[in-house]
Amino acid sequence: MNTRIIELTGGRKVAIAEAGQGAPLLYLHGFADVHGASVEWLPMHEELARTFRLIAPAHPGCAGSDENEAIDSIDDVEFHLLEVLDALGLAKADVVGNCFGGWLAAELAVRNPDRVNRLVLTGASGLFVPGEPIGDLFWEVQAQNGVEYQGLRSLLFTDGNADVARALFPDGRSVVEREISRYKVMRYASRVGFKPPYFYNRNLRDRLHRFPGEVLLLWGEFDRMVPLAHARAYEQGFKRARLQVVPDAAHALTVEQPDPVVAAIRAFLTPATIGAHRVFERTSGARAKSARKGAARHPTREPHAKPARAKRAADASRGGVTREAKRPAKRLTTRATKRPLKRPAKRPVKKRGR
Amino acid sequence: MRPVQLFCWHFMAYPYLPPDFDEKYESGWVTVPNTLWDRDKTQGLFQEYIDQLVYGEELGFDGLVLNEHHQNIYGLMPSPNIIAAALTQRTSKAKICVLGSLLPLFMNPLRVAEEYAMIDSMTNGRLIAGFAVGGGPEAYNYDVPQPQARTAYWEGIDLIRRAWTEDGPFRHEGRHYPLRYVNVWPKPRQLPHPPIWIPGALSIETMEEVAKRGFDYFLSSRAHGAATRQAAQRFAGIIKSYGGRFHPFRMGILLSVYVSETDEQAKAEARESIWYWLRFCLKGHLRREGRTLTFGPGVPSTSVRSWEAYVKNADPGAKMLGDVADWDELDQWGSITYGSPKTVREKLWKLIEQAGVGNLMIQFHFGNMKPELARKSMRLFATEVAPYLRRDSVELFSREYPDMNEAMTAPAVAA
Repeated sequence: MNTRIIELTGGRKVAIAEAGQGAPLLYLHGFADVHGASVEWLPMHEELARTFRLIAPAHPGCAGSDENEAIDSIDDVEFHLLEVLDALGLAKADVVGNCFGGWLAAELAVRNPDRVNRLVLTGASGLFVPGEPIGDLFWEVQAQNGVEYQGLRSLLFTDGNADVARALFPDGRSVVEREISRYKVMRYASRVGFKPPYFYNRNLRDRLHRFPGEVLLLWGEFDRMVPLAHARAYEQGFKRARLQVVPDAAHALTVEQPDPVVAAIRAFLTPATIGAHRVFERTSGARAKSARKGAARHPTREPHAKPARAKRAADASRGGVTREAKRPAKRLTTRATKRPLKRPAKRPVKKRGR
Repeated sequence: MRPVQLFCWHFMAYPYLPPDFDEKYESGWVTVPNTLWDRDKTQGLFQEYIDQLVYGEELGFDGLVLNEHHQNIYGLMPSPNIIAAALTQRTSKAKICVLGSLLPLFMNPLRVAEEYAMIDSMTNGRLIAGFAVGGGPEAYNYDVPQPQARTAYWEGIDLIRRAWTEDGPFRHEGRHYPLRYVNVWPKPRQLPHPPIWIPGALSIETMEEVAKRGFDYFLSSRAHGAATRQAAQRFAGIIKSYGGRFHPFRMGILLSVYVSETDEQAKAEARESIWYWLRFCLKGHLRREGRTLTFGPGVPSTSVRSWEAYVKNADPGAKMLGDVADWDELDQWGSITYGSPKTVREKLWKLIEQAGVGNLMIQFHFGNMKPELARKSMRLFATEVAPYLRRDSVELFSREYPDMNEAMTAPAVAA
């Protein structure tokens, strides 16, 4: 993995992993991810790097980045990230955020929409959704019977016994380098995850509409860490978001199903397929509904390919109702027709108390 | 010359767990369901435990020790200060040592400064003020962010000491607890302030912070033997590097003791409660089985450097204290000393001689131990063990620390 260290004002060091050529793609990592449980790129990253120039800073304290005692909350990380973007000369970029990296990406998008072009969130935490709590990573990361990580794997993967899960989280002690990387990412997560609690910012949901760009939400259909309800909340909150549920995947969808994840990100971000992803303008309730229905399973079969900007211009020239004005009605419809895409059969999760 | 100081420590364990507890629950902390709390059986439980501590004073123990736990079966004192307050009305000689209040759980550490000042006033200066950071479970049950907990903790301690020693009102410009008006009423009885004890589990970082401030160190680790001596020597060296002087009373250790008429009787009487305590009460803490919540990446309070040192040497699958199979394995830990007065005397003397530690904090009640057994053990200890330890320790300390009296009144850190 090609990693370099950059220095921010004040001397703090940030590790930046980079791969590939092409349009820059900022990647904000999560837990079961590079700079986290993995000290190397995962297949998903390598595949993305065939199309993009992948730029992945390690969060403060993670991998080779300096720990920053001044960081207490997601707000502080946000300012840190702006410094990183400045240092990298990234005025505006497409951003992919995974897990709590997705939370950070969403915060960046709503606060500094000028810095984010298009946004991809995969299994992103960040929202408070009543009755749909984010899983307790801190609990499961503690070994069972001294050496077992069955609970952790089951929290993150569709099948906690699958090879892909065991490869990243083997029982017993892993190589020291990975143990330390895991500890560091948990320390970072602990630093920001509880303030505000718990891996979410209660105010974020009402701020999502501030991001004018397009958002692709990729979620594992069996995500037990950040339940699908959070994906729907994101979809509802952003102005131009589309949710694509990835089958046979859970929270670690990028590890379990790298191919469909990469394909969806490419389709979303690559100009060659520009017609395929223009589904983000919500027009009427009926339309939004059909778009969403299609979106879930057939990302390339979207009803209207009219570019968003042109659509808005057409609305304006017709003296039509602006999108904003229509939102409440449409949202109601959206809500009324909202139903679980495919309620995953609840897999038995071992109860704590047994 | 002061003899070894003998403290009676009560954890106030929950004694009514079902026999199949170990099979059914992965931890005795945080998630152990409170449906197991029996409203009827527990009537009078606190009273009994308080009475045992009061009995400790009657027997001549130098101090009584309480500590704080939340959502667990190991210790039923979410607020040790409430028990301390009760003891102020029942005791007149023994030190009351709260070891300690978990500072990061308070919105404002001045609350602890105030409560401790009250206890110190109510006891006419018998409080030993302990401050603890919290062992990990508090990350779950109080949502305490672990990396910040340590810095908040030390800021809180420094603030409390200032509040006790400097004239108020003053302003505190802290990072975690910025306050415009610090002006504690009442003030503690003792001057310059009650002794401050800080628990630690061998980490150099904690010892340094303690030595720097001239506080006393309490080794909370439950394994004793060569490691205890190493810890004492390490702490002595660190004190010296900060210009202070080490003597045996700068440090305390935690022991568990059961004394009966004979060795065999001790085993027979304490067997059930010791294993209840090992298997049930330590689950979630010092058990490999189930899930340990007091240490690890889920409760990342120790620095990356410390974790690295740990992970390179540790065997994560190794048995812990609570997993020991039999008496022989238990003996290897040196944590629980049991037997006739003679056996206990010899074993403890060996430890005192080896480690040179002056404060012994002794747990007499284990898990579901019957009150009459705990009292008998305390009585036998007080009458047939303690006098010898006191006598011999005066001799030992006089020999090894001839200038101890002077050291005890000298400034704890270089001016």
